[in-house]
Amino acid sequence: MAQRERGTKERMERESMDRDAVRAVWPGLADPAHDSQRLFRQILGAMSEPGTLATLAVPAPPQTSPSDALGAALWGVVLTLCDLETRVWVAADLDSPALRQALTFHTGARITDDPASADFALLTHDAFDPEMPFALGSDTYPDRGTTLLVAVERLENDSNEARGDNNSWRLSGPGIADSRLLDIGDSPGCRRLMSRLGANRTSFPQGLDMIFGCGARLAAVPRSTRVTRADAKEVN
Amino acid sequence: MDGYNFAYLDEQTKRMIRRALLKAVAIPGYQVPFGGREMPMPYGWGTGGVQLTASILGADDILKVIDQGADDTTNAVSIRHFFQRVAGVETTTATTAANVIQTRHRIPETPLRAGQILVFQVPIPEPLRFIEPSEQETRLMHALEEYGVMHVKLYEDIARYGHIATTYAYPVKVDGRYVMDPSPIPKFDNPKLDGNPALMLFGAGREKRLYAIPPHTRVESLDFEDHPFEIQSWEHACALCGSDHSYLDEVITDDHGGRMFVCSDTDYCQSRRGEVA
Repeated sequence: MAQRERGTKERMERESMDRDAVRAVWPGLADPAHDSQRLFRQILGAMSEPGTLATLAVPAPPQTSPSDALGAALWGVVLTLCDLETRVWVAADLDSPALRQALTFHTGARITDDPASADFALLTHDAFDPEMPFALGSDTYPDRGTTLLVAVERLENDSNEARGDNNSWRLSGPGIADSRLLDIGDSPGCRRLMSRLGANRTSFPQGLDMIFGCGARLAAVPRSTRVTRADAKEVN
Repeated sequence: MDGYNFAYLDEQTKRMIRRALLKAVAIPGYQVPFGGREMPMPYGWGTGGVQLTASILGADDILKVIDQGADDTTNAVSIRHFFQRVAGVETTTATTAANVIQTRHRIPETPLRAGQILVFQVPIPEPLRFIEPSEQETRLMHALEEYGVMHVKLYEDIARYGHIATTYAYPVKVDGRYVMDPSPIPKFDNPKLDGNPALMLFGAGREKRLYAIPPHTRVESLDFEDHPFEIQSWEHACALCGSDHSYLDEVITDDHGGRMFVCSDTDYCQSRRGEVA
């Protein structure tokens, strides 16, 4: 009996330590009203000028796997936009009890297993599959779609000719004066992401809006953007 | 100020409006429904614009508020004072010094620059509302891109008056897709919507809708090949600054028919006089 009580006490202490650990290593915003305003303006700027890079001054999630894959910028987006009114879907490769606890603790967001009901989806480029049934909104309510928060390999605006390969994509449309190059990485997942964004125009106004993060860097490509391979001209 | 959150609205409301704003920017010209709150001013006084401004405004921002182009009319002064009190932000009347500009029914004459945000106060966000009273129907018309009826309305003007008689809230098409009400700005300001480097946000408080035009977006005013879109022009120049290219207000000066024409944009007019003097 005494042994069981001791066991319960130990478990409670352990859980209490876990909660402290979440608070310690999954940082929130020091000054919620002003920090979230500052971050939101950067996110709004990124969304209204697709492909432009922003660096978010926000504390990073713990540097242990798989938490480190998310990156500071996307964690900042979560802290700025998620609350108890939002449903968040987390891909398997980012999922961890610590992330779930941190999401609940800092934002109160509901975690869902159904991508179609998610307001926000957290994933890495590796996990992206164009067949995933995220919400695209409807023709009458196109705004009711999932916003994807995707950790990508890199975020650059140059054409990477120095690297000998050209993985840039040319963006044009609203928010872009002429055109803008964006490179998110060479992986098959990154290619799937940009191809999926390119397909957005065929279903407009339904579509997927994506916010990319790489460490503290952030860029966004909404459904209104036309996406083509940067080297498409040479091919044609 | 004690007793209020920064910029009046609570954080939960700001987040809801911020999420809606991101969708509005992602779907240019589409009206996003949002949970409009009661503000300490009546509907029709810019509650939509005020909620948008409160959701984007930061402590470092410099705010300008105009009403029909003027910084010194009741609506502009009271909204400016409101944000001075609840957000403690610096305010200005200079278009070039501001990074957030809330406006009722005008776009400043001074060209806007990248990084500036223009927030419009919108009374009736639905351009098809006077043709089709049902929200369900207009929503379906937007979904199906069924805008022929809007051209019929403009055509009826031509049949009756010989020209398109719509002079304000002149409908536009955003990025070739959504027909949008640019709020009751004079059609004189419509060309400034096209390809503007500033971000333009529209808020309708009573109707609880918000929408956006991102920077550098194609915005066309609806017209016909044989009746192309035209802006207003005046035979007069501004009686104060002499401008022959700005939007002019007619001011009655006495009860014997005396009148003068002056710039509606007070900051533009004053800065021109400063330069001239």
